[in-house]
Amino acid sequence: MSCTRRDFLKTTVGTSTLLSFAPAAPDFLIRAAVAAAPRRDERDTVLVMIQLSGGNDGLNAAVPYGDDEYGRNRPTLALPPKDVHKINSLVGFHPRMGAFMRLYKAGYLSIVQGVGSPNSDRSHDGAMRIWHTGDPDQPHRQTGWLGRAADSIWRANRAETSAVFVGPIAQPLGVNAENVIVPSIRSPRELMANRMPGDANGESLWKHAAELPRANQGNPLLDFLQRCTVRACADARRIEAATNAAQYPPFQLAGTLHTVAQLIRSDIGVRIFFTELGGGGIGGFDNHANQLGNHCALLHQLSESVAAFIDDLEREKLLDRVLVMTFSEFGRTVSENGRRGTDHGAAAPVFLAGGRLKGGLVGAHPSLTDLDGGALKFHTDFRRVYATVLDRWLGFESPVVLDRQFEPLDILNV
Amino acid sequence: MAAHIEKPSDPGWAWAAYEPDALRPWNLAQAGHLYRRAAFGAGWDQLQRALADGPQRTLDNLLSPHADTEAFNLAHDDYEASAGSVDELRAWWLRRMIQTPHPLMEKMTLFWHSHFATDGAAVKGVRLMQQHVRLLRGQALGSFERLLEGISRDPAVLLWLGADANRKALPGENFARPLMETFTMGPGHGTEKDIQEASRAFTGWFVLRGELRFIPREHDGNIKRILGREGNFTSDDVVRIVLEQPATSERLVRKLYRWLICETEEPDAILIAPLVESFAKDYSVSRLVETMLRSNLFFSSAAYCRRIKCPVEFALGIVKGLEGMVSTTRLAHDLAGLGQNLYHPPTVKGWTGGRHWINSATMVGRYNLASALLQGSGPYADELSPPGVAQKHGRSTFESVARFLVGLFLQDDLDSNVYDTLLKTAQTADGAGNDDPAGLLRRFAHAVITLPEFHLA
Repeated sequence: MSCTRRDFLKTTVGTSTLLSFAPAAPDFLIRAAVAAAPRRDERDTVLVMIQLSGGNDGLNAAVPYGDDEYGRNRPTLALPPKDVHKINSLVGFHPRMGAFMRLYKAGYLSIVQGVGSPNSDRSHDGAMRIWHTGDPDQPHRQTGWLGRAADSIWRANRAETSAVFVGPIAQPLGVNAENVIVPSIRSPRELMANRMPGDANGESLWKHAAELPRANQGNPLLDFLQRCTVRACADARRIEAATNAAQYPPFQLAGTLHTVAQLIRSDIGVRIFFTELGGGGIGGFDNHANQLGNHCALLHQLSESVAAFIDDLEREKLLDRVLVMTFSEFGRTVSENGRRGTDHGAAAPVFLAGGRLKGGLVGAHPSLTDLDGGALKFHTDFRRVYATVLDRWLGFESPVVLDRQFEPLDILNV
Repeated sequence: MAAHIEKPSDPGWAWAAYEPDALRPWNLAQAGHLYRRAAFGAGWDQLQRALADGPQRTLDNLLSPHADTEAFNLAHDDYEASAGSVDELRAWWLRRMIQTPHPLMEKMTLFWHSHFATDGAAVKGVRLMQQHVRLLRGQALGSFERLLEGISRDPAVLLWLGADANRKALPGENFARPLMETFTMGPGHGTEKDIQEASRAFTGWFVLRGELRFIPREHDGNIKRILGREGNFTSDDVVRIVLEQPATSERLVRKLYRWLICETEEPDAILIAPLVESFAKDYSVSRLVETMLRSNLFFSSAAYCRRIKCPVEFALGIVKGLEGMVSTTRLAHDLAGLGQNLYHPPTVKGWTGGRHWINSATMVGRYNLASALLQGSGPYADELSPPGVAQKHGRSTFESVARFLVGLFLQDDLDSNVYDTLLKTAQTADGAGNDDPAGLLRRFAHAVITLPEFHLA
């Protein structure tokens, strides 16, 4: 674990200051300070999901350039083998995903190939619902898998915000929880305290007034609210103190990940970040016609944004705590459709990035001839990837979230 | 509160009507408590009037106001009819909550909105959602039986639950399961078989182009066995059978107990037994609500401040206290950010609430909403003015205004040490050193409504 993190804690909100007043401080305050201090026995790993809205064409992202069927099926969309960033003699990255290639070589990126769902659905809404709920068997399920994950770690006396959606679109179903509140933000400012005009005291008075002991106080809810106020104030200050000068490219997703990086650095206890590329609705990765240019721009944005994020985290010695995972509602048809585009498909690759990956390609590339309705067949149930992330990365209990145990993949060094 | 003479576990004492006496006097704190639970907070005049009227008359007025509620609601129904989106409906509802002469009706409509929680995004129909909340309002203080019948025929609910095509050959559980497990008895009171059989009784019902339709040839008219009863039951029969189950009455009483009385502790079965028995007779919501609100238990320490305000209660408590009207379009959006998106409850189980409302992000969010409401500029403009309201009620010096604001928002129920600290800090720190007194008072009011105490309902 990085020492930066502990140093940071000491220098910002002053956990140590608080603890040094321990004999005089009321109980709830000491508990709050202890809760805020990093604990060795508890995991502090972070998951960053990136939703690629619209159905990403996996075949033109992790390109099976070495398979003749690829070129045969895609007379106008096939990427020239000479331009592909080659991973091996079969697969390589899209020419504009040079940054992913760099991460891949450094061991910071993995590709899980052939991921999909049984009961696959070729409609955007239906397929996205499956990825969000993590439950292909119940199309009307109302909670998201990460919402259930957040609910599963909630404790009655703690004030952490365990999951956050960062992005300009409506909150996706994936983080919809039955119980906890998952905030949707566009910038870190929304999690900082906004003072009244002319207020010189601001949060310090807010915090001070909350932590003063109350005479004859026997209400457990007031005690809870006092602690939460103190915690909220501390978190808001940590976020404010965690700005850095890292350079990110001028993309929407890069801005989102810059925000995520600041929140990770602030160490306020968020374990799950959900982000999005493509705009949520129609458009985005849904390229039924003239796919080449638009898809190229999106993949470039994805690759550059994630790379800037990974570089930032590495510099801050936080990379070992972070795992990025992309997903899309489906891949696309192997053959192009006569309009220089592709149609809704099935299996697709999932990209993982972070400091604790075993790296490399995971699973075989699905066959380009043994198809299901013109699309690749999956060999890895997407819930095995979810289970890996929940059990092995976050340290949660995946059966609580996914209703049963799926076999995790051996892809992490943890 | 005089805990020593309270007998909160004795049903006889608990549900008898509260009569003020020397040991349990009627005071500002009690009046504030009543207005937080039975309304969305109160302005200074309402609190003073309640003090003068005493609990009985105050409750009479809250339960059945003299004002013409029907005319008010009809006018608002018309406004809503012009709404082009569910977002507009959200804004109209908040406006109704603020301006209604019958706030308890809206408070209970909100309760039912969380009980029969229906998400407008899934329904995709403004009119259907308007009808849905109108149904909730119509029986908010009426009959739970009528309400449940209405819900079982409500296109919005059926669409939301994916129960809009109940075919004989494919009886789905999408309505029968929530009906039994969420809307009435609760989980564990029926078997899977009961749910399957009940699903067959709902066959034949469809929602076609937003209209409810019964198609007789799609109805399974054969014998069903549901909760020990046998017959060729229809959907109405299922509703009746479910209402006959003692578990239904008990579950509703418990839920309302949590909403009106206390969310920190589950009541003993013995304590609520008289209410459960009475409610099961005719499912009169108004009688149940009235019994709870008039009770000794309601005015005891077991209930006082034993709830956390939902975001709507937090925001409207500020608006009502300051006698203003703010942009409810904006407010609806900000409340969604705090976790309470009206017309969009998270699941069919509604908002869990309680401690779940609060985390470090929503706490900062509440702080920021309070700033936005009080700062006199920005998205909420200058609609709420603590110094202006204090002046209206005859307070002018800094100390008298400060005292007034603590009376208004916390009914003086604040530790004196905390009060002194706020006062001292406000008087010594004046930002750039050239501040006007009004700014000072706005900041003081902000400090009061961001205290942990103000989040208690």
